[in-house]
Amino acid sequence: MNARPYLWLIGGSAGSFTPLRQALLQLPYDPDLTLVLCLHRLRQARFQITDAFPRLKHWLLSEPDDKTPIQGGAIYIAPADYHLLIEKEGYFSLSVEEPVHFSRPSIDVTMLSLIQAGWPRAGGILLSGANKDGALGLFKMYQAGYFTAVQDPADAEVPHMPNAALALFIPHRRFLISDLPILLAQKPTS
Amino acid sequence: MFVCPEDVCGFQVDSQRALPSPPLRTHKGSSSIAYLYPLMLEEILPDIAESDLETFFQITHTLYGYDFRDYARASVLRRLGTILKKYGLPDMKALNQRLLRQKEFFETFLSEFTIGTTELFRDPSAWIALRKQALPLFMATSQIRIWHAGASTGEEVLSLAILLTEMGLYPRAQIFATDIDQKALQTAPRARYPLRYKRAYQENFQQVLPDVPFSRYAREEGTELVFDPQLLSHVTFLRHNLTSDEPFARFEMILCRNVLIYFTPELQDRVIQKFIRALVPGGILMIGTKESLFWCKEAEKILAPVNNLERIYRRQG
Repeated sequence: MNARPYLWLIGGSAGSFTPLRQALLQLPYDPDLTLVLCLHRLRQARFQITDAFPRLKHWLLSEPDDKTPIQGGAIYIAPADYHLLIEKEGYFSLSVEEPVHFSRPSIDVTMLSLIQAGWPRAGGILLSGANKDGALGLFKMYQAGYFTAVQDPADAEVPHMPNAALALFIPHRRFLISDLPILLAQKPTS
Repeated sequence: MFVCPEDVCGFQVDSQRALPSPPLRTHKGSSSIAYLYPLMLEEILPDIAESDLETFFQITHTLYGYDFRDYARASVLRRLGTILKKYGLPDMKALNQRLLRQKEFFETFLSEFTIGTTELFRDPSAWIALRKQALPLFMATSQIRIWHAGASTGEEVLSLAILLTEMGLYPRAQIFATDIDQKALQTAPRARYPLRYKRAYQENFQQVLPDVPFSRYAREEGTELVFDPQLLSHVTFLRHNLTSDEPFARFEMILCRNVLIYFTPELQDRVIQKFIRALVPGGILMIGTKESLFWCKEAEKILAPVNNLERIYRRQG
């Protein structure tokens, strides 16, 4: 009995937004797949980010409210100025507790919540970014047995975030951003 | 300076600070983590056994009267992890022991456990909607009783008082500001905040009230930003636990922002029903901009949106 979709948790900050948007354009619809995007944003940036992503055919694109049930075939974008937590009951919780690495949402926070919720099938991805938020979270995902992938720092516009992860552990995959759509469609479990 | 293209995510970073990158795998094994994360080793994934958590719930409920079982779990675990770290407690058993033996520790614990993040006019667009669409409904009301639930350190109480003052409604208003956290309730009546908050508070203020000088309500005094004490002349601060205590009156308006997010759907349902019962017909409910009435079936029938995007509702009949 397992109705939980495969969940890709994708973290990034500076330099990740445009390539991610391009990659999503090439992603075929999959009702058994959920993307959770945790991107550092300016805290005033409300109600804009879902408009900024391309209208993808069939995909539900959403900046979730608190306690929004997590569905398959959906792309969720963490709202600005809240931490986004995954609950084991299968919905999101939001929190306004203090920023982590000066970031709210924090990628670490979302990744750690996924582990504690015991989400059955998931993978973590870290993209271009300007601080080390997400590195520890992805390492913990790795240790918890989840598939992990890090953008090649040489390929990243701002390599600090991928480098911080690679300084901690060797992920299952190092990839070029051009390969992201293929990676997303694979849904690997490890 | 790097600025995210399209300025959509708006992310800016000083490239001088962001680079150079840290050395790659210069340390091996766990020592590399210690090297990179000196402060994060015991971070945030506390290994809390379900039985210890259950003991914690029993202690806080039976000894102190606070039932946290229906608090959203992910956040509870994060708070407990933070508290273990801050007080140098090795595990959950140690925290439970301390809560059992040291009754005076509980207030400190509760203050840490509760998230009190707030600011003046947090989410300016919500306050603009309140000012333009909701508060004008009270222009002919002789008595405006307001319950501000989860008032924390009082910044949003002041926000509300400022709007009421600007609209000439304050003399008829009576605000009951409540919180679970005694420490926050000691801070709020002072209406004094660290000066470093001034910039953010003033920016929000000018968005909501572009034609009003900030200096009308706040001034600098040493290292503090001090608000006009008149703003609190119709405010009563009270300790109140939303999850267990009943409403103490009926109200023309209830504000409760970013409190429901810490509750399970079931508890959200119960608390929103409590709000509905405490509102007079035509009364206004304002919740956080990312909170919803989704889990409360009764709300659908009784609360009509005044502004759905900003989560402002009005009780029907």
